[in-house]
Amino acid sequence: MSKQVLTNLKTKFGDRVDIHEHNDRRAYVTVSNEDWMEVLRYMYEVEGGRLTTATGSDRPTGVELLYHFAIDTDEIVVNIRTTLKKPFPKIESLAPYYYAADFIEREIFDFLGVEFEGHPDPRKILSSHDRPADFHAMRRDE
Amino acid sequence: MSTIIPIGPFHPVLEEPEYIQLYVNGETVESADIDLGRIHRGMELLAQEKTFDQDIFLVERICGICSASHSWAASLAIEDIVGVTPPDRARYLRTIVHELERLHSHMLWVGLAGHILGYWTVFMWGWKYREPVLDALEMITGNRQHYAWYKAGGVRRDVADEIWPEILKIIDEFDKNTDMLIGAILDDPVILSRLKGVGILTKEDAIHYGCLGPTARGSGVDIDVRRDDDYGAYSEVDWDVIVQPDGDCLAVSVVRLLEMKEACKIIKQCIEKLPGGPIVTEIRDIPRGEGVGHIEAPRGESFHYIRSNGTNMPERHKMRAPTFLNIPSFRPRVKGETISDAVLIFAVIDPCYSCTERMAVLDPSGKPFMTGQDLIKLSHEKTEKLRREF
Repeated sequence: MSKQVLTNLKTKFGDRVDIHEHNDRRAYVTVSNEDWMEVLRYMYEVEGGRLTTATGSDRPTGVELLYHFAIDTDEIVVNIRTTLKKPFPKIESLAPYYYAADFIEREIFDFLGVEFEGHPDPRKILSSHDRPADFHAMRRDE
Repeated sequence: MSTIIPIGPFHPVLEEPEYIQLYVNGETVESADIDLGRIHRGMELLAQEKTFDQDIFLVERICGICSASHSWAASLAIEDIVGVTPPDRARYLRTIVHELERLHSHMLWVGLAGHILGYWTVFMWGWKYREPVLDALEMITGNRQHYAWYKAGGVRRDVADEIWPEILKIIDEFDKNTDMLIGAILDDPVILSRLKGVGILTKEDAIHYGCLGPTARGSGVDIDVRRDDDYGAYSEVDWDVIVQPDGDCLAVSVVRLLEMKEACKIIKQCIEKLPGGPIVTEIRDIPRGEGVGHIEAPRGESFHYIRSNGTNMPERHKMRAPTFLNIPSFRPRVKGETISDAVLIFAVIDPCYSCTERMAVLDPSGKPFMTGQDLIKLSHEKTEKLRREF
């Protein structure tokens, strides 16, 4: 591992994280739904990662979440990935622990219909108020 | 008992439609709710239906002010997928245009802050000094806004070396004007009384809310993508990251004012060191894969993530502008402040104004109907006429 943060992740989580180093400044880490919150909180609370944003995308395997953490002191962006089952994707929310996730998760809920359990303010954020509540613009199966 | 005061969606001091509800008790703001989405344009979905080359032009149109930032970040993401580095000359040219953009963006904010404070002289000065920077951008790229200058692998057009003395003259003049403006603003007791100690955002809150750019640096958070994730020519020139610890509206203003000085320094050094050679590394094929590009736009970090499935269109293109993460910090800032300061506190994050328009009135033969000089003359005549009448 070229960067300290990746070594730390491997040491702490072992086989529970699958690390792919794209190059020395970008890495992709795949985790299971069960380990998701533990890894995210570790990235923010221990490694001091800054949640730049999160990408949600509808893929054949399910709804994929990709949280992008920038480690400014280590010159690397670590992207944490997990895949949620359709048709009702659901996962624990990071917002109660890290406020930056508030708007980001609301956006993913709005466009992909991912339910974030424990989110303090689970409303739609960007789409028009007259759209039906169950309409999610970036879902491909509807 | 609390009362709700609505600001917006269309309000004289907000340049864009945003709806803020202030929950107030008497004159004091207790909390606030922000409702977004009135100019949502569905660009992420649109980006999936355009080719990689077209995408760069699409993302330029996210914002009229940050157009170089978004197109550079998207180019970096594509370069990350392919694994190419642009040539040296392209890196320097990109940096020059990006810093010119920072100059005009920050100066625009100084003007708008003057407008919100009711200090029209600052508004007039700020926008007057901003104008030559737009001329410089037009000389380099051909456009005042939406430069169509960045492409994956480099820049689209080369620049004749003859224009650099003229650009340097503009920057020198701007640098001098900025000094004067900084002196005038920081010496003025009326401006200081409106900014100092107003709308404080603590360092802990700034980190917890994920604030970016001058909003974070004004609260003592030492982050800057230009230094923290090296791109362009920033590691090859001498400049400083401006950080202020106080977290009030004054600190954020000082960060922006001093950053203009740093940007002038960067531009001058880049022009001095500008290497020769090619301006683009040609990309023939974009393989399957994913890439991340992020850069320090004037308001903070712009972030782009692109996933390619091997075709000529991206499978997913995620884009995030800095204001999206800066807006929530309005809540802790405004709590306990008075209603009269609320709009200024909202404006201090420099919410992004996505529309800029250039208008010229032409007569039937195609010539400009009136030049700037004609308008000044007209204004003088009108004033004289009023003077005689009253």
